[in-house]
Amino acid sequence: MADMHIDHKVLSDLREVMEDGYLQLVQTFLDDSERRLGQLHAARSAQELGAAAHSFKGSSSNMGAVALAGLCQQLEDRARRPPLFGIEDLISRIDQEFAEVQRFYRAEQQGISAG
Amino acid sequence: MPAGQGLTVLVAEDSDVDRMLLARIVKRQGHQVVTAQNGQEAVALFSERRPQLVLLDALMPVMDGFEAARQIKALAGEALVPIIFLTSLNEEQALVRCLEAGGDDFMAKPYSAVILAAKIRAMDRLRRLQDTVLQQRDQIARHHHHLLNEQRVAKAVFDKVAHSGCLGAPNIRSVQSPYALFNGDLMLAAFTPSGDMRVFLGDFTGHGLPAAVGAMPLAEVFYGMTAKGYTMPQVLREMNAKLKRILPVDMFCCALLLNLSQQRAVVEVWNGGMPDGYRLSAEGAVLTPLQSRHLPLGILGPGQFDDAVEVWPLAAGERVLLLSDGVLETADAQERLFGEQRLRSVLAGNREPALLFSELMQALALFGGQPRDDISLCDIRMPGAQEPLPAPVNYPDSGPTSPADWSLGFEVRGQSLRQFNPVPYLVQLLQQVHGLRTRGGNLYSVLSELYSNALEHGVLGLDSQLKRDVQGFADYYQERARRLALLSEGFVRIDLVVEPHAQGGRLKIDVRDSGEGFDVQQVLSRAALQQGLSGRGLELVRRLSSSATWAEGGRCARVEFAW
Amino acid sequence: MAVETDFSQDGKKLTIRIKGRFDFGRHQEFRDAYERQPSRPDAVVVDLQDTTYLDSSALGMLLMLRDYAGGDEADVRVVHASSDVRKILAISNFDKLFDIS
Repeated sequence: MADMHIDHKVLSDLREVMEDGYLQLVQTFLDDSERRLGQLHAARSAQELGAAAHSFKGSSSNMGAVALAGLCQQLEDRARRPPLFGIEDLISRIDQEFAEVQRFYRAEQQGISAG
Repeated sequence: MPAGQGLTVLVAEDSDVDRMLLARIVKRQGHQVVTAQNGQEAVALFSERRPQLVLLDALMPVMDGFEAARQIKALAGEALVPIIFLTSLNEEQALVRCLEAGGDDFMAKPYSAVILAAKIRAMDRLRRLQDTVLQQRDQIARHHHHLLNEQRVAKAVFDKVAHSGCLGAPNIRSVQSPYALFNGDLMLAAFTPSGDMRVFLGDFTGHGLPAAVGAMPLAEVFYGMTAKGYTMPQVLREMNAKLKRILPVDMFCCALLLNLSQQRAVVEVWNGGMPDGYRLSAEGAVLTPLQSRHLPLGILGPGQFDDAVEVWPLAAGERVLLLSDGVLETADAQERLFGEQRLRSVLAGNREPALLFSELMQALALFGGQPRDDISLCDIRMPGAQEPLPAPVNYPDSGPTSPADWSLGFEVRGQSLRQFNPVPYLVQLLQQVHGLRTRGGNLYSVLSELYSNALEHGVLGLDSQLKRDVQGFADYYQERARRLALLSEGFVRIDLVVEPHAQGGRLKIDVRDSGEGFDVQQVLSRAALQQGLSGRGLELVRRLSSSATWAEGGRCARVEFAW
Repeated sequence: MAVETDFSQDGKKLTIRIKGRFDFGRHQEFRDAYERQPSRPDAVVVDLQDTTYLDSSALGMLLMLRDYAGGDEADVRVVHASSDVRKILAISNFDKLFDIS
């Protein structure tokens, strides 16, 4: 299940690099992502939308959330070429994908705190 | 990267996650990290912390990465501060923008620790290379500055030692490029005690200080020996021997030495390796090229050195032009040389001697454009009879004691006659006599004349009638050299008597030779009639001394100076 | 290489060829050409066939070679000099020191 959403090679590199900072990174990512999603929904122009999608794409990709990064890339591309017809659909797919990623990283948090 | 050699790296990234991750990766690789959340912060941090490397996100709020990169590059100045753009931009246009803003490399997300480490290493190599280049450039600039300064100081010293002597005389025109000496060119001029003018133009091999060091001893020999009245061959031999002794094998000095005698109306020339000089008519037409006949100074040992001098008549107003090879070897863009033909046509086109140099310099500029720093030109005019040259220098007073009553006999015999010339020694001795001190020049001229008459007409039996015209002139000196080389016996004897006389004193000079003698009456009456190239000697002796007579059938000349 | 050398089979004659400009830039190469030889040659030939220019430091280098090859007893020949090069050698009267052809 997680394989579709998370690149495990990236994940293991992350754990290795961050060491004891890993949990903090995960928390920062989850907080940051909530903010980005809020920005996506609140965007009032194609440019705002594109900028938020670009940033979200970068952090998702660094966190190994490949599918999420891919959707953000699509959104960034669409935002650059209006009209934005049907864009709500793409944003809600991003919401759904983030929910999966969120679920995965929450489990990570609990696993590590417990272990 | 060697341990302990970590860099300070600036990470500018607006995403908290990416910044945290990147900072951690870079830290783990042994570097110091400073972080900024936007371009403006990045620029401020750069000024404050002076990091050696910058990782810069392209799209950031407040100030984007492109503008930050431009400002950071401007702040860094000449030092290379590599900027790696952090971007997932996959459009060509955006990548081009990164490079144009001063970016040196890119790094895509997700970040790979391995790739980033490799990129940082590569960038650090570039940075160090640039650093080394800048340091070396600064070092070269410092050395260059130092060298120029040394040259200035050295030039000031050289200018004092190898001073230009009497190059300022009214009959000489000369130009030299300001640093010609440091290209090995040397120009000297001085008077002999008898009022002859000696001019030396030399060109040492090589450039810079090595080319200039030989100038000092050469100038010393030239000025010292010329002032004491040594002959050209003697001066040349000493110069050659000195240079041979002190210079390394591959260094030598092309040289042209000339002696301009107003009294005898001749110019004597020795040219070893210099471009042709020119004997010019008053109007500037070339009469004779003064060609190089010898090896340059400083190559041959004393045994092989050839001091043979060419003698040419030179009437009042006629000139001699000397030049260094910088003139002929000025090259145009196609590396063609200015050469002798072009020089000759400038000479032919010249109407006003005073303008010759500027016409020549103009022709060189037109031809090559690139001015050289080794151009030396010297134009010497034979002064007219009504135009006496400045008086030769007097010897310094040697104190209150002045021998006033003595005699000396001096005889030069056989092969010694070939090279040895006693006149300078005798004149130096006579300078000790107080009453003769102011007459050093006259004494020198008279003794020289008597000695060469005794040698040439007496011992060698040469007929001065030969010197009627230019060709005869050349023949005469050729014959003189030939007979001198074969000479094995004969003598010239000089007796000097100094005695008190009336209120002052008197010097009696007898010069005897082993020759056939001559018909005194006939020669003297002929001399009085002639104004040609020959017969000047006796006339000169009479004019400069208190009395002059010939005895013993022309084999003894007797001259008196009274004071 | 702007300076080429050729040692004869019997090891007696060294030929040095200079291509292009013969000036101070060739100094080290030219010295190496005769100093870095297994033995001292009896005769040296300097071949100027492909030499386009020669300056006074080249004359100095020839003097060094002559000195190395025995000074006044040296057998140094300068061959195939172009007319321009010969003129430079002639002005300095180097024909009195070297056999020039």
